Amino acid sequence: MNEEKEVEEHSKPLVLEKLEAAHADALLAQDESRGTVVVVVRKERVYAVLEYLKTDSELAYNYLVDVTAVDNSRMESELMRFDYARFMVVYQLYSYQGQCRVRVKVPVHENDLSIPSATGLWRGANWLERETYDMFGIHFEGHPDLRRILMPDDFEGHPLRKDYPLQGRGERERFNFDKQNA
Amino acid sequence: MGLDFGPSGEQDGNIITTTIDKVVNWGRKNSLWPMPFGTACCAIEMMATLASKFDLSRFGSEAIRFSPRQSDLLIVSGRISIKMMPVLKRIYDQMPDPKWVISMGACASCGGVFDTYTLIQGVDQFIPVDVYIPGCPPRPEDLIDAVLQVQEKISSGASPKGVEVIYE
Ligand code: SF4
Repeated sequence: MNEEKEVEEHSKPLVLEKLEAAHADALLAQDESRGTVVVVVRKERVYAVLEYLKTDSELAYNYLVDVTAVDNSRMESELMRFDYARFMVVYQLYSYQGQCRVRVKVPVHENDLSIPSATGLWRGANWLERETYDMFGIHFEGHPDLRRILMPDDFEGHPLRKDYPLQGRGERERFNFDKQNA
Repeated sequence: MGLDFGPSGEQDGNIITTTIDKVVNWGRKNSLWPMPFGTACCAIEMMATLASKFDLSRFGSEAIRFSPRQSDLLIVSGRISIKMMPVLKRIYDQMPDPKWVISMGACASCGGVFDTYTLIQGVDQFIPVDVYIPGCPPRPEDLIDAVLQVQEKISSGASPKGVEVIYE
């Protein structure tokens, strides 16, 4: 969590070195979390960074493990770090070649929830992004089929947002069976 | 298994008198065909109940039907989400009368520990339930006990909850 932490030069992971050389302007912060390299990336550049991580022959982060998001609206420390961006979209990547992981995080402001879709790089991003859309309302631009995936189609709201009441807004008591069965 | 229906007179040891209802109920009771609606961990216990160790066929209920049109006992075992509820309701509606419902486990009966936006807090809000099984998960013996309770209801001539709801 400490941005100013000095990373010793000789132990710097390859992925950070290469990203700094190729995409220095895209990086907002670097972290390390339990042995995993974490990079925070500008939204406009995320597709280019993901593409670089996937296609670079030395890095080859070719497996998209997960796409999800975090609602930081009650995490003052996180909000302050990234210009009060409410959401943090998180990509987990794994490299079969290097057998290591990297986490790419992208701050997303509430007034502009769009972010480029990664479906052009990994077809597996399709359902992961649909889930993130369903749960947090993040809009993945260029996604071929951005519909809800877990909640019913007529569900309103995005339940993993912190302001969504845990016990819901009465959806679990109200049903229109006639409509559903039609 | 003896034919233990009530008023019976014997002539030469070969004739039993009874009523149509008793005979029909005796048949229904001993050949319940369950429709398994297993959506979560409770369903694993239901499978164990059906498998050889606990062997539900000892009680005439081994003919599991995956078509609601062929079954008369709905076993709801597991969490029912708000997306699943219309499906469950539809399956219940498709079963022919008379039909009985067992709500197996804490989740199906009251939502269990999942007091959240997506989970039905008890399927009995939407479909009539005849027998509830407590537990998380209930043991196979509990499910067997519930089936026996349904059998008792049938042989006593009681109508299923669903019928009572319709004619109330
Ligand atoms: S009652 Fe317990 S065992 Fe049964 S579905 Fe719920 S959590 Fe699983």
